[in-house]
Amino acid sequence: MKKTIHFILNGHEVSVEVESHKMLLQILRDNLHLTGTKDGCGQGECGACTVLVDGMSIDSCLYPAFEVEGKSVTTIEGLVGEGNKLHPIQEAFVEKGGVQCGFCTPGMIMSAKALLDENPNPTDEEIRKGISGNLCRCTGYVQIIDSIRKAARSLR
Amino acid sequence: MKKFDYLQPETLKEAYRLMEKSKGGTRYIAGGTDLIVNIKKGVIQPDALISLKRIKELTGISQNKELVLGSMTLLRDIERDSSITQAYPALVQAAKVLATPQIRNVATIGGNLCNSAPSADCAPPLLVLEASLILEGPGGRREVPIEGFFKGPGQTCMEASEVLTRIRIPPLNGGSAMAFLKLGRVSTDIAVVNAAACLTVKNKACMKCRLAVGAVAPVPLRLESVEKMIEGNEISPELLERAEKMAVDEVSPITDVRSTEEYRRTMSGVLIKRAIEQAMKGSE
Repeated sequence: MKKTIHFILNGHEVSVEVESHKMLLQILRDNLHLTGTKDGCGQGECGACTVLVDGMSIDSCLYPAFEVEGKSVTTIEGLVGEGNKLHPIQEAFVEKGGVQCGFCTPGMIMSAKALLDENPNPTDEEIRKGISGNLCRCTGYVQIIDSIRKAARSLR
Repeated sequence: MKKFDYLQPETLKEAYRLMEKSKGGTRYIAGGTDLIVNIKKGVIQPDALISLKRIKELTGISQNKELVLGSMTLLRDIERDSSITQAYPALVQAAKVLATPQIRNVATIGGNLCNSAPSADCAPPLLVLEASLILEGPGGRREVPIEGFFKGPGQTCMEASEVLTRIRIPPLNGGSAMAFLKLGRVSTDIAVVNAAACLTVKNKACMKCRLAVGAVAPVPLRLESVEKMIEGNEISPELLERAEKMAVDEVSPITDVRSTEEYRRTMSGVLIKRAIEQAMKGSE
């Protein structure tokens, strides 16, 4: 079963013909060639595939593509700061060493974005809970939490 | 992964019609955070999925004496609802520790129940709150107490064409207090053991006691003999010790990748004791 779905992707309207058994992650990577969103465990455990749907973080590997019809999707490619520079969350990850191998980074940053949009002044505990759905195999959590704390400061 | 059709009805009637028309091997899908994983693993291989996400009849939270939750209420919405937090804190505590933010933004309370995992975090609080579930299908509507809903791991009393539409939680007696506790390897993990308690205390005596544990039997379990032993008595350290021992005898856990039978058994008692203690603190 195939259908053309229409949604807003990083601020632009897109229409894609998709098969009914595909997940949003596959559409983003294979059809739309946005490979910033990573394919990790495929089971909603690692959070590497995290994107925002209508502002809420979700695991795109478990999100049926048909369900994004009419919704707004933000991926790591959609995060842009003023003057086409890096977004302040990305800047903070660079500055505070929040990136090691980099595989978890897009998902981490999208979870950080969802957290800071809702709670601009999180405690360390709230930051930890905010990224509890994202695994960093390099275990660089301390620097990731530092990065998000710094991003929160610069966004306030 | 096997290919499947994905159907998106906007009313319950249309959903039933699609289900009746299907050849079998068709499943309803709510948030899909468990179902899609099982399809990817090949555990289930449906020909089609009927999505319940667009059916407005299944959404909404209303609180007027009793609390009524649409089955498609997101765990995220329960977590953030201040009136539920105030009236039924144990349910909110369970929603908050269920999986990860990304899952809670998609997973539904109805899905958590219909999936019928013995470890379902929403089950112990709803058991102690004596919730009832509204099931609707092409044959009509029925209401079942949550205790009769779970039949085994992954099995409920529902017919294939039925949909869980609403969850009704009756109003509480005055002087009621409750608690939910979960033991997991990490906070977001599936529970090794979870437990809930709801007590009504008058003049120091426990007039009504409801206790439930999860992940330690084929279904989430009410501990009725422990409840009976406690009711009418003042909660003393000796009584708590007896409750702990009795809980240990009532459960029938298994050993799996998350824990051993022995540890689960021991911790069932510990968690029940702690849940009663925590609820008592809340009632003071």
